[in-house]
Amino acid sequence: MVPPQCVYFRMLYHYLDQKRKEGSARLHATYLVSGKFVENGTTSHKVSVVREDQLEDAKSKMSLTVSVHVYSVQKAVLKDSGPLYSADYDAVKENLRNCSRYSAIRCADAVPRSSAEVQQACETTQAPPPETEQIKANHSNLASKPTSKQPKGIMGMFANKNVSKNQDSSKEIKLEQKEVTPVVETSKTKPAPKTNPVTNFFAKQAAKKPDKSIKEEVEIAQTSSSVDEKPTSPPPKAETPVKEELAKDAVVEKDTSKTKRLEHSDSEEEKNESRRKKRRRIKKPEPDSSDDEVIPDSPPQLQEKRDPSPSPEIQVKKEPVAVSHSDELSDCKRRKRRRVLKSRTFVDDEGCIVTEKDYESESYSETEDDFKFSQPTPKNPNPPKPSTGKKEEEKKSKKAAAASNKSTKQASIMGFFQKK
Amino acid sequence: MFSEVSAPQEGSCSLLLCRPGSEDQEPSVFDRVKPAYSPCSERFKLGERSFNRQYAHIYATRLMQMSPLLTERAQQKWGADVRIRKLCDLQMGEQCCIVGTLFKHMELQPSILKEISEEHNLLPQPPRTRYISESDELILEDELQRIKLEGNIDVDKFVTGSVIAIYGAEKNDGKFTVDDFCTADLPPQAPRTTLSSDRFVLLLSGLGLGGSHADSMLALQLLVDMVTGHLGDQGEQSGASTISRVLLAGNLLSQSTQDKDASTKAKYLTKKTQAGTVDAMRLLDEMLMQLVSSVPVDVMPGQYDPTNYTLPQQPLHHCMFPLSSSYPTLQLASNPHQATLDGVRILGTSGQNVKDIQKYSSMDSHLEILENTLRLRHLAPTAPDTLGCYPFYLKDPFILEECPHVYFSGNAPSYQAKRITGAEGQEVLLVAIPEFSSTQTACLVNLRTLECEPIRFSSFSAGDDEESEMNISH
Repeated sequence: MVPPQCVYFRMLYHYLDQKRKEGSARLHATYLVSGKFVENGTTSHKVSVVREDQLEDAKSKMSLTVSVHVYSVQKAVLKDSGPLYSADYDAVKENLRNCSRYSAIRCADAVPRSSAEVQQACETTQAPPPETEQIKANHSNLASKPTSKQPKGIMGMFANKNVSKNQDSSKEIKLEQKEVTPVVETSKTKPAPKTNPVTNFFAKQAAKKPDKSIKEEVEIAQTSSSVDEKPTSPPPKAETPVKEELAKDAVVEKDTSKTKRLEHSDSEEEKNESRRKKRRRIKKPEPDSSDDEVIPDSPPQLQEKRDPSPSPEIQVKKEPVAVSHSDELSDCKRRKRRRVLKSRTFVDDEGCIVTEKDYESESYSETEDDFKFSQPTPKNPNPPKPSTGKKEEEKKSKKAAAASNKSTKQASIMGFFQKK
Repeated sequence: MFSEVSAPQEGSCSLLLCRPGSEDQEPSVFDRVKPAYSPCSERFKLGERSFNRQYAHIYATRLMQMSPLLTERAQQKWGADVRIRKLCDLQMGEQCCIVGTLFKHMELQPSILKEISEEHNLLPQPPRTRYISESDELILEDELQRIKLEGNIDVDKFVTGSVIAIYGAEKNDGKFTVDDFCTADLPPQAPRTTLSSDRFVLLLSGLGLGGSHADSMLALQLLVDMVTGHLGDQGEQSGASTISRVLLAGNLLSQSTQDKDASTKAKYLTKKTQAGTVDAMRLLDEMLMQLVSSVPVDVMPGQYDPTNYTLPQQPLHHCMFPLSSSYPTLQLASNPHQATLDGVRILGTSGQNVKDIQKYSSMDSHLEILENTLRLRHLAPTAPDTLGCYPFYLKDPFILEECPHVYFSGNAPSYQAKRITGAEGQEVLLVAIPEFSSTQTACLVNLRTLECEPIRFSSFSAGDDEESEMNISH
């Protein structure tokens, strides 16, 4: 009875021998020689891989040769033992799992544990690192999120009110909803990748729980936010539900993110805050001016006769509002909506073509800011001219339109009152 | 010796150079010997770590723990009636004994205060191999005062942080003239159980995985194959089965995996690049996987391994070993590490303490330094002065309380082993484990006889044609 290794080595030797007897292929072999070696008075056990031509030499140098066998067989003469290692490495890598199967030595203890046992061992032996504590805290946060989300979010909003420096932009409530959806969507996508570094820190089983709970919470946030969106659409002054909804998103982002990502979420939060802030600030002047202006303006515009007296007032109001808006507009750097003076040409019910100039909401981006701003201001002095007859109206409006068209290219005096 | 254990019984070496016979149908396997193993390195494991403390507390506890031992030794050496004085009670000209911590004042010792001081206008000093000079001075400090030493004391042999007892007198000029000194010497040793058969422990260090020179990879593979029983004939394999444990003593990764640029390079350049240690750890895990499936392994971290820098280094985290950590035979140990194997107490470090003492003293041989630390009864006297250390305050865990049977240090430039005997009959085997990546040598310690034998693995390379490959050390 011999160990399995011996069988292999004998087979290898036999193969080599046979091939050489046949004389078919020129095969070279490397041998393993091990034994006692005396050097400078110290004895050592030496295990070496030698080429065939060095075999006898190596054997003679050993004082006691323990074993000699064929290590490898190859077609070409090996100058260097490097290829032996690389071939061996590849073979070992493939059979990493069963490397002890063909060994001559069995070890009773070397039985791989199941993953559950491994996890148990980890939990008992490891002192909890601070990350797991933080993540556990996050778990408890997630669990209690539905109950504590709303007050947290609102208080968080009030706390951060003074922090945000960016001043408003003009938006309407409808636009808020549209913005809310992309914000919500981004927040939805964010928790998903954020869980990955979280799960990497855990063993696999433990990771499933935070995954599930985070996803559940995100879904809840989603449904709640979508539900909230609908009631906010009709009333123009539905600030609080929107705030709550965005606060929830901010809280979702906060709780599910790790310390690194917290910075991103903070900036995201600040963006949300600033947006909300901008919206809030605009709403205050807007209810004063726009609600009064939009509603009374549109019926007279639909009617043929324009009321000259309220219009100059309105236009005057609009002017400072436009100025204030544009001042604030210029500071923001995102896609926004604002009120722009535009001329609409239509046929009234007497069959006359009427051109009306009015503020309309329009989305724009930063680059168009300065450009468009020069447009409304020269238009403003033109419309307030009182017109008696329809035709005069038409002419004047046409003239005004023509004049305004020409004047867009001129530099405006309002340029002095722009960005400071 | 291992060779004799593995020698074939029949005396014919060509047992394997023959055809497979009919008797080979039933393979036999050897069972790995299972020793009684118990790790005792709880004192080196740190739980909650707080770095808010000053390092002075370590010195205070060190002195407090060691002064009773030293007074006892002093009384043994110079008589029971020797006067033991505190420095504040010193009388001029009186022969007495003082106990305290040594401080070596070295001009060349790098000092951060000098570097940043404007009045000196110094450029940062390049690192040297040795910081000793002719002008070094020894100073003894106790709880309250310090005094300069001169006389019959070799300044080069001592390092800062050693606690010793000095016999002499104070002369007029405020310096203490030394007549004699004594150290705490070896601690008491528990008797070890006698073993019936030979059992071996393989000590290995300095694998240097992930390095740019892969010269020793084949040798490492040969080692793994030999230990796991894939190589050699019957006798050798039965010999390999007597290797009851493998201990890896540090520097498993090469120094070149330490990427110093990571801290200075801009983040956007290094974002996608993987650290050098990642591939190296994978190699290590695969190698360990082969080993742990056949033999219990203790893995100690070293200077270049991914764990904390300060002593005691904590064990490598199991998450870095996804393949091998599922085996119960893998034991991730701290540095320094202490364990009892079949009644034989093994204690050792990965070599940082010895290297540090080598820098600040004139001793060159790792073995000599190792003996010195044993006689001082302290693993790392230069901690925390020049060797990074955790700010302990309750206890100094580096003080040797019990004498080990095998005392090793890893990553030595060459293999050295010695057996020393203590005053009370303690027997210690000192082993300086050589660096495998440069010497391809490991150590086999026989637990029955407390003897150590080096084991060398060699391969051939292109330059071996003219010279004999025996003479080349890779």
